[in-house]
Order: sequence, then structure tokens, then C-alpha cells
Amino acid sequence: MSTTTLSKGQALAFAAPAFIAILPFLVACVYILRFSLSAEQGVIEGISIRAYQELMTPFFGRSVWLTLKLAFIATVIVMFMAVPLAFLLTSLRGSFARRLLTVTILLPLILNLLVQAYGWILLLGPSGALNTLLKSLGLIERPLFLLFNETGVLLGLVQTSLPLAVFPIVSAVRGISKEHLEAASSLGASNWRILRDVSLPLLRPALVGAASIVFAFNASAFAIPLLLGGRRVQMMGVAIRDMISPLFNWSGAAAAGMILILLTLFVLVVSAWLVRVTTVKTKG
Amino acid sequence: MKYSLTRRGLLKASAGAAAALAAPSIVSASGNFSGKEIRLLTWSDNTGLAILENIAKPFEEMTGAKVIADRTGSTSEMVAKLRASGGRAQYDVITLAGVGAVELAGDGLLAKPDLNQLPNLAKVDPRFRTGADGHGIGYLLWTGGLIYNTKTFKEPPKSYAEMWEANHAGRLFMPPATWTDALDTIFATGKMLGGDGTNADDAFAKLSELRRNILTFGENPAQLSELFRSDALDIGGVYAPAFFAKELANPEQSNMGATYDVEEGFFADLMYTIMPKAKPGEDDVVHAFINYTLDAKVQGVMAEAVLNGPINQEAQMSEAAKASPFIIKPEQLSDKAVVHDKSFIADVREQWISKYQQTLS
Amino acid sequence: MRVGLLPTDRGGSYRFVIMLLAILGILVSALPVVVVTIMSFSAAETSGFPPESYSLRWYGEVARLFTNEDSSSAQSVVDSTVTSLVVALIVMVISTGVCIPLAYALARGERRVREGMELLFTLPLVFPLVMLGIAFLLIAESLKLELGIWRIAIPHIALVLPFVLRNCLSAMNGISVELEEAAISLGASPMRAIWDVVIPLMKAGILAGLIFALIISFNEFTITFFMYTIDVSTLPIWMYSRTVSSLDPSTLALSVFIIAADVLLIVLVDKLIAGKGNLF
Repeated sequence: MSTTTLSKGQALAFAAPAFIAILPFLVACVYILRFSLSAEQGVIEGISIRAYQELMTPFFGRSVWLTLKLAFIATVIVMFMAVPLAFLLTSLRGSFARRLLTVTILLPLILNLLVQAYGWILLLGPSGALNTLLKSLGLIERPLFLLFNETGVLLGLVQTSLPLAVFPIVSAVRGISKEHLEAASSLGASNWRILRDVSLPLLRPALVGAASIVFAFNASAFAIPLLLGGRRVQMMGVAIRDMISPLFNWSGAAAAGMILILLTLFVLVVSAWLVRVTTVKTKG
Repeated sequence: MKYSLTRRGLLKASAGAAAALAAPSIVSASGNFSGKEIRLLTWSDNTGLAILENIAKPFEEMTGAKVIADRTGSTSEMVAKLRASGGRAQYDVITLAGVGAVELAGDGLLAKPDLNQLPNLAKVDPRFRTGADGHGIGYLLWTGGLIYNTKTFKEPPKSYAEMWEANHAGRLFMPPATWTDALDTIFATGKMLGGDGTNADDAFAKLSELRRNILTFGENPAQLSELFRSDALDIGGVYAPAFFAKELANPEQSNMGATYDVEEGFFADLMYTIMPKAKPGEDDVVHAFINYTLDAKVQGVMAEAVLNGPINQEAQMSEAAKASPFIIKPEQLSDKAVVHDKSFIADVREQWISKYQQTLS
Repeated sequence: MRVGLLPTDRGGSYRFVIMLLAILGILVSALPVVVVTIMSFSAAETSGFPPESYSLRWYGEVARLFTNEDSSSAQSVVDSTVTSLVVALIVMVISTGVCIPLAYALARGERRVREGMELLFTLPLVFPLVMLGIAFLLIAESLKLELGIWRIAIPHIALVLPFVLRNCLSAMNGISVELEEAAISLGASPMRAIWDVVIPLMKAGILAGLIFALIISFNEFTITFFMYTIDVSTLPIWMYSRTVSSLDPSTLALSVFIIAADVLLIVLVDKLIAGKGNLF
């Protein structure tokens, strides 16, 4: 008897509750797919690809490109901060310090986005604390515009998705056995080398998982571009919201949603594949 | 946020309503409704809050009925939710912008209120009594003009052309494309260029010059208020002073001013109360509530609280409210007020929204 | 010598860069909250940052909201808070309960199956929430079911699954099969081995999943906006109408209050699950 692999039946039994839990969502997905093929804008009626055809405009294309670009950049920035945060969190010894840091990282998920945006305006707005400071120091004459443009949106995306990346990485860091690191260290490898040759490869599945969750989350964002982009940054989430209300073009919104989901899945699958290919290479 | 997409043609007097009102039956608004409930759906912004304080609460005290209020988002968000809920009996009375009433009436979700049970309607300016094919009862006038920074402007700006001045670069806000105020802005630009407002191509060409000047689109009034307070904005429009009743009363703190007195005119839109077909409450108390929203005293208090225009011609206002430049009284709707032709707006709406978006963002 | 990913004794450029990035991350996460918290203690009527003087007056107002509430008209903040809590607890228990066995099965199963499943369970994140919200509402209304609190709980469960599963899976990654086999060779049944060996080792991931589920559900707005009814409403919905109308210090005080409630919940869950001084 092998304990390392479950039998098909066992695996199914283990997975069944989760499938029941996600079932309503899958029903909703099918519903959205069906809606995107409706011939009417407000109700499901007839079958047509009109909703998709109507989306094929340069404006929508730019919006798709912008969405993928911002989601990607935000994901890269998030990963550069999430890994060090995970290292820091796992190396803290005092439990109070650990709790404090955990709660701090979770804050962006807790606080109402409108209120957070307000906090950012007070800090980084055209007349916010930062601009006032820089002006009084004589470093700038005109205020820096850090909000209500792509910079502001990126900041918001990074902030809200950072906690999503940190915790899966923390769990994985805990799983790295100390022997690996000690062995490398005793061989005289530098910290950077250990990071490159030992830690990161061991963390790779968790890193990919974290990055894909962050990317997906950011690609569908709509509140952040509305609040910190001053509505000037047309991400797809915003376009979809506008189609739901006040345009009441629900089939169009469903079609845009399907396009977004397919693009995101494509990116996730390709990145998973790339990782697999490179992993095989390094192992070989 | 009260963005509507098309506006009711306000000037179309309702002959039917007038006839019905010729002999209003005597229904006492102060009847005893204790034990009865009304479920009210209204806006989430300060105008919704004012309804709770100035309409719902006194109504409860007067009649003994209980008003349970849900303050949900904007008109379009309400419409989206009500449409998706179909015939579910959730609310008895809803306040919303004209377009919402038209949309929901078109879906067949609304009942026609019995005008005989609304005696206060007799005192309402005939132009504003009913709408949405008899499904909507007039409520208050929503008006839009220019919002400006009192630090920058010693005198209120006299024309929308002020928005193009180079010294406001990076200090300008504009209404979001999906708000009716955006359509108003296109109209205002057209009139500024000497047209009648429907000269959209010229207007868009002119508007494109503003692209670099815009700091933000006014998606969130509370955010705008903060930007004015910190002196980051100079001017913006077309936008409703109603969002900023508190700020406009205190310009030293808020730096905010508003004006309707603009060469190209200002914009007015009638808001409605409506009654869904499927409703949990009883007819008499619901009608009494709608009637109460048109009470002379209530109209006066509401006008002052949220800077909307009263439609009851005998609305009782304080001296301050009467003198307030921010509250438009029906008699002030002279040729300066732009009231959109509903059918024209319906025709161009979608096209204008996307053009506005593409021109400016 | 302790060898960790963040060396304390020697480190040079490595330690410096890691710390710098971590601090940047902390700033990005915490700055708005710090500003809002400071502002909530302002003594002034309107908002200027930093405030000129400080007071607790806005917290007094928040306390009033909860104690002598307006009996009429407005939705009750107390009811909304209770609903939010109940929904969050349901979501937390169910989502974690179903993800632990799934994570185990995936970690011990074929790689390709695992990747497919991970992708499937990422889906709830990909759809814009507005679209999902309206789809859930349309489905719920067309089925004409009286779901009560489950109207909100069911979509929330779907929404938190990606987070819970990822965290459980990450935790499973580090657990080697040998440990389990050792337990079995000592006479434990496979289920016993999972319960006694694997689950305790997964604790960090499970805990993270629980906390994510709790926080996301407790603070979820967009889908709830479509699903709530006048009778079943949540705290974020109640909060929304306040923040749209104005961002006065009492709203900020309320936000700080909600943060405190969240932190309390997190610590409670941590204590209950992890025991004393453990983990996070």
C-alpha cells in the first residue's frame, strides 16, 4: 500500500466538499457565459455574438492592454516586496512583533477603500503632505502628480494585493528545511547565492501561486482605478462596471468579463508552463 | 451620486394630472397609520440622509407609521438592482432621478400612483407634477452649474469658458462620462461655441483641449470636497452644488463656491418618487408618504438641506433659503435653465458617453 | 549559528536590500491607515492634515451610534454588524473545512491535476466582482429561493476559496511524505496520520486561510451590494452610505473602530486555533 498517493476514490472524496462550495460560482460563470451570448442587452434572449463584436473597438483594445500592463507591473512590484516581507515575518522571534507585522500587512484588506484613498490624498495629493514638504524644502516648484493617473492606480493595486502574496510565501518559507540553508551556508555560499540557488528555487511553486493570485486580482480591479485613478485610467473592471450600470448593457459586460477571464487564464497557464519548463531545465 | 442618463422633458405639462387634480378628494395626510410599515429606497449620499431626517422622521411622528430606509448608491445602481430583482416585493417607495423612473416604468415594474390620494400635488408647478408616463410623481429639482475655488476666484466665474484658462491646468475637475452632468458639459461647451448645445462635434473638438488640464473626474463628491479644501482644484463642471450643501455654507473652511449664473445657462432635472408594482406595504400609507414629500413645509426644509429646487409653489423656506443663490426656485427657471429634450438625449446618449470618455481620458 | 533567510549577524548588502524592500512594503500597507487614524483624533470639524489639536469627540459619536441608536428610519448598525459577523464565521469555517482535504489531495495527487485545480480555484478572483454580483443576484431571484443569510454567505465562500486554498497548499508543500509514512509505520491509520501529523504541520497555512476568509468576508462590499436585502445587510453596506456623503472625522473614527474589530477577530482566531504564542 502506498500512502504517498491517494486512490482515485479517496482523492475524489477529499475534493468533493470543495467542489460543492465552488459550485454556485461555477453556475454563475456559466450564467455569465450564456449572458454574453445573448442577443439582448438586458436579458438573456436568443443567441448572438453581437456583444463580442461591439467590443472590438480600438478603445476597448487599449483598455485591455492597459489592464494587462498595470496588472503585470503591479505583480512584479508586489513580489519584490512580498518576498522580503515574508523573510522578515518568519525571522521575527517575538510573538508581539510578529502579530503586529501580520496585522499591518493585512490592513489594506480591512480598511474601506474610499477611506484609504482619502488617506493617500492627504499624503500624496497635489496639496498633500509630501508635496508640501518637498515644496518647503525647495525641491519642487509645481506639485508632483502622484495620484489620479497610472502611478496612483499602481500604488493602489500594489497596496491592496500585497497581503495576498505575503501569506502563501510565508507558509512556504516555513516549509524550507533549515538543513538546506545550513548546508549551503557551511559551504561558504554568500547570502545572495543562497537566495538565488537554494531559497528561490525551493519557493518557486509558492511564488508562482502568489504571483498568479495577485495578477488575477489586479486584472479585475475596478474600485482602485475609480478612486486613485480619478477615472482617467480605463481598466477593464471600470468599463465592465459602467456597462452594468448606468449603461445597462449586461450582455456587453458579460462579454467583456469573459474576455478578461480568458486573457487572465491564458497568462496564468503560460506562466505556469514557463515555470515548469525552466524548472525541468535546472533540475536536468 | 445621482447620475441619470436622460432627463425627462420637464416642460411637458401633464394634462391628465391637472384634470385629476381639479377636484382632489379629501385625504388627510395625518391619518393614523400606527403599526404600518413603509420600506423606502433612497440615495446613499447626503440627499438620502436628508430624506430620513426631514421626511421620514416627521412622517413617523405624525402618522405613527414606521419607515424602514435603505440607502443604496446612485439612481443607476438602484435601477440595476431593481431590474435584477425583478418582481420581488422589497420596497414601497423609491426616490430617484428621472431616467431611473423612465427605465423602470419601461420594464413594467412600476405602479401608477392614484393622483386623487395626493392632494399636495395641486400646489405643485404643473410642469413638474408627474412623469415617466404617470408612474413618477415629481419630487425636487436637481440642478447643475459650475463649482469653483473661492480662493482663486474673487468673483464667481461667468462662463464655462473659464475651464479652458491655462492657469487652471492640473486644477480642473469634470463630471465622469457616465453621469448626466457629462452630457450637460457637452451641451454647455456647444453653447459656449455659439451653437444651441446639440453641435456635439464642435464641442468635442473643444473639449479635447481640456484633456491635459484635468486633475480628476468627479466620481466621488467627498473626494472633490477634500481636494478643494486642500486647494488642489480651481474649477469644475457641470456639477451639482447639491453634493456640497455643507461646504458651500462655509467657504472659508472648504474654499468652495458654486454658481448657476453662467452665460451659457445651467441645467435642471426633475427627480421623482415612484411606487413599485410589487410592494410589501399598503396603498394608503404609501400614498400618504408620497403626498407628504410634496408638503409645503417639507419641500422648503429639503430645499434648504440639499440645495434642490422645490416644486411646491407654496414651499415654506427660511429667509436665508429664499435668498440662497444655490437653490433654484421654479420661477427662476427662465431661459437660463437648460432642460434637455428627452428624446434627443435618448438618441445621442450612448454615443456621447463613449465619445466623451475617449476624448478626455 | 542560526541560519535563516534573513541573517542577523552577517548580511551586508543582502540584509540591507531585504530590509529596505520590507520596510517599503510596510509603508505602502500602513501609511493610509496611519493617516486616517491620526485624523480620527482630530479636534477640528473639518479635515486638515496633520490636525491642529486632538480629541476623542469623534469616538464618542461612534459609541453613540451603537448605544442609543435611532430606533427608526435607518438600518440598524448593530444588526448589520451581527450579520457581518455571522456570515464571516460561516464563511471561515466552511471554506477552510473544504480546502484542507482538497489541499491534501492535490499535494499528494498528480501534478497536472493539481495545476488544473489551482487554476479552477483561482477563477473567483478573475471575474470582476460587479459582474459576479449581478449574476448571483439574477440567479438567486430566478430561483425564487428564500435564502436568508446564505444569500450573502454562499457568494462569499466562493470568493474566499482561492485565498484559503493557496494558503493551505503552500503549507502542504513543506510537509514531506516521509513524516506520514513514519507515523503509519508506527501503527497509525492513514487518516490518523493525516490528523495527527499533517494537520498540525499545516497549521500556519490553515490559520492564514481562516484569517483571510474572515477578513475578506467581513469587509466584502461589491457582491454584497447586489445580494443584500433591506432585512439582511452587512456592516460595509451600512458604512458605504456614510463614506459617500462625507469623509468627516466621525467616519474615520468609525473606520478605525472597524479596523480594531477586525484585529480583535484576527487575534481571537489566532488564539483559538494556534494556541498560546504560536505562529503568526
